[in-house]
Amino acid sequence: MKQKIWPILLIAILLFIPLGFIQNQINYETVADNLQTNLVLMPGEAGDMVLAGFKGIAADLLWINVENYWHRGEHFKMIPLFYMVTLLQPHWILAWSLGGWHMAYNVPAGVKNIQGKYYWYQQGIQFLKKGVSYNSSRYDLYFETGWTYYNKGEDYSNAVKYLKQAVIYPGPDYVKDVLAHAYEKDGHINQAIKEWKKLLHTDFKGVAKRMIYDLNTRGWATP
Amino acid sequence: MAIIQTKDLTKIYTIGRNKTVVGLNHLNLTIEEGELFGILGPNGSGKTTCLKLLLGTLFPTSGEAYIMGKTPYDVEMKQHVGFLPENPYYYEYLTGKELLLFYGKLFDIDKEVLKEKIEELLKLVGLENTKKLSLRHYSKGMLERIGLAASLINDPKILILDEPTTGLDPIGCRDTRNLLIQLKDAGKTILLSSHFLSEVERVCTRIAILHKGVLLTTGKLDELMDKYKSVNLEDLFIKTIDEYEEKIQTQGVAQ
Amino acid sequence: MKKTWILAWNTVRESFRKKTTYIIILFALIMIAASEFFAFLSAQEQTKMIMDTSFAVIEFFGFLLAMFGSITAVSSEIEKRTIYTLLTKPITRTNFILGKYLGMFFILLINFVIMTIFFLLLIHFKKIPINIAIFKTLFLIFMELLVIASISLALATFTSDAFNIIASCFLYIIGHLTSYGRQVIEMTKNIVIKGLADMMYTILPNYQNFSIRDKVVVGIPVPWQYVLIVTGYGIMYIVIALLIGIYFFRTREI
Repeated sequence: MKQKIWPILLIAILLFIPLGFIQNQINYETVADNLQTNLVLMPGEAGDMVLAGFKGIAADLLWINVENYWHRGEHFKMIPLFYMVTLLQPHWILAWSLGGWHMAYNVPAGVKNIQGKYYWYQQGIQFLKKGVSYNSSRYDLYFETGWTYYNKGEDYSNAVKYLKQAVIYPGPDYVKDVLAHAYEKDGHINQAIKEWKKLLHTDFKGVAKRMIYDLNTRGWATP
Repeated sequence: MAIIQTKDLTKIYTIGRNKTVVGLNHLNLTIEEGELFGILGPNGSGKTTCLKLLLGTLFPTSGEAYIMGKTPYDVEMKQHVGFLPENPYYYEYLTGKELLLFYGKLFDIDKEVLKEKIEELLKLVGLENTKKLSLRHYSKGMLERIGLAASLINDPKILILDEPTTGLDPIGCRDTRNLLIQLKDAGKTILLSSHFLSEVERVCTRIAILHKGVLLTTGKLDELMDKYKSVNLEDLFIKTIDEYEEKIQTQGVAQ
Repeated sequence: MKKTWILAWNTVRESFRKKTTYIIILFALIMIAASEFFAFLSAQEQTKMIMDTSFAVIEFFGFLLAMFGSITAVSSEIEKRTIYTLLTKPITRTNFILGKYLGMFFILLINFVIMTIFFLLLIHFKKIPINIAIFKTLFLIFMELLVIASISLALATFTSDAFNIIASCFLYIIGHLTSYGRQVIEMTKNIVIKGLADMMYTILPNYQNFSIRDKVVVGIPVPWQYVLIVTGYGIMYIVIALLIGIYFFRTREI
C-alpha cells in the first residue's frame, strides 16, 4: 500500500546535472570577474584550511601582530607576517604597500652594513613587484614600486617603468607628479614637460607651471 | 459499508540482523458506523500497531486498511478523523487555547466557528480556566483532557483513541467514559484500544481481542461472554488467550 | 499551501519562545560590537577589521541557527511525539517538510535582519560608508544560510541529531574548501580519481560560491551577474535538499 515515491528521489538526483552546469557557470564568472581564491600553500596548512572560510579574520589577526611588532621596534618579526597576510589576502593593497615600505625603508635603517641595507631594499622591491602581479589592474602598487625605486633606490629608469604603468589606471594626480620628476631625473626632459602639462588643470598647476618653466629655461627643475 | 476495515493487515518488524517480530498477523477487522469498538490485548499484542497502520504513521508489510473507504494516507478522509495518542505530548510552549487553535486551523474550520468550538471544548473537558497556562505546566490528567479536546476540534465522524484512560484517576475515567457514550449516541464511530478491561466492559458495544499480533476473537460483548461462558470481560480475555496458547502448543506452529 | 504556512508559523513561534534563539543572537550582537576593540588601529585597518569580523560573525552565528533550528524543528516533533497528532491531521508529509523549511526561512530572516541592522548601525556610527557591495555580501550570506538549513532539515528526516550535527559541521568546513580541492584535483593525472572528484565537487554544497566578503572588504567589485548566478545555484540546491528530505520523510515510519 506504499505509494510510489521513488520519482521524488530520482528527480532530486537528476537535478544535480543542471546544478553542475550552474557551478561551471559560476567558475567561469569567478575567473572573469577576478574573484578567484587561490590555493594557499604555507606552513601550518591545516590551520589555514580551517580558517579558509574566514581568511579575512586570519589576515586581520596576523595584522594586529604587525602593529605590535612595529610599535615595539621589532621590525624583523614583521616580515614573515607580511608574506602570510598577503598570501591569505593577495588583494589587500595596504598589506603589500606597508610591507614593501617596512622592508625597503625601516628595516635597512636598523642594519649597520651597506650590503645588508641594499639587500632589504631589494626585498622590499621584490615584495612590491609580487603585489603588482596580483593587482595589476590598479594604480596602487605600480605607484608604490615606482616611488620606492625613485625615492629610496634613486633608480630612475625603473621608477619611470613602473610609474608609467601606474598612470594608465585611474588614480590621484600625485602619481603623474612623481612620474614627471622621475622622467626628469632619468634624463627625459621632454617627457617630463609633457607630464607636467597634463597637470596644468589640476591642483598641481602651480607646481606644474614652475616645473615647466624651469625645465624649459635651465634644463632641470627637481633638486 | 464498514467505516473501518482491514484486510489481511500484516506488519512485521525487522530488529537487528535477520531478527523479525510479528506486530500484526493478517488482521481482518470490520467496524460499522456508530459503533463503540474496543481493541483489547496484553502489552505487545499489536493494538498500537493496528492503530498506527490505520492512521498512516506505519506502513504495512502486506494487506490493506481503509477508513471510510479511503487509504490511511488520504488527506480528505483525515478531515473526519480525530485521534488521541497514548501518553499525549503537545507543544509545551503553547497554551491550551493556542494548541486547539493551531490544530483547528489545519482543518480549514472557519475562524469564528473555531473560536466558539474551542470555548465549548475547553468547557467540556473542564479546562476553561487554564486558557493562558502553557502546556509545560499541565498535569498528566490535564494533558489527556486537552488531548481529548484536540481530537474533537474538527467534530470528527470517527474517533480513534489509544489507551484513553491511562493516567486518569477514577473520576477522570468516569468523565471520559460518559463523554465517549455521549459521542457514540451522537452518531460518532469510536475505536479505542485499552488494557483497562473494566473500562472497556462498561462502554464498548463490540470488541476484538488481540494476542501476539493475532486476532483471537471479535464480536458483540454479550455474545462473546455467552460463547466463552465468562462472567466478565477479564474472564473472557483470559479464556481466549489460554485457548490460543493451547492451540499453538498442540499444533506446534504459530501462524 | 495554506497548511504549509500554518505549520511554518508554528515553527517560528516555537523558535521565539525558546531561550536558545535569544542567546545565540545576543552572542552574535556582542561579537559584532566587540570589533570596536580595534580602535587602536588606523581608520583604514579598523574598517577592514570591523567588516571582516561582522560578516564572519553574522555568517557563523547564522550557521548555528540554521543548523540547530532545522535539526530541532524535525527531531523535537519526533522525540516529543507531537508528530503523531500532527500527521493524523489533514496534512501531507510534504506539507510538514515544506512548512518546517518555510518556518526556518522566516526564523533566519528575522534573526539575520536583527544582526544586519545592528551591524549597519555600527558601521554608520564609525562613519564607514555603506555601499551596495555590503548588501550583496549580506544577501549571499543569507542565501548560504538557507542552503545550510535545507541540508540540515533533509538530514534530520533520516539521521540522528548527533550524526546530523557532525555531518552539517563537516559539510560546512568542506563546503568552504571545495574550490581548493578542485585546484588540487586538476593537478592529478588519474582519470578515475578526477571523475570521482568532479562528482563529489558537484554533489557537495559549494559554500565558497557565497563567500564574497573577502573580496568586497578589499574593494574588489562583484558584479550582479555573479550574485544572480550564485542565487540560482542556491535555489537549485535547496530544491534538491528539500526533495531528498520529502522523500525520506514520506518513507519514514514513526
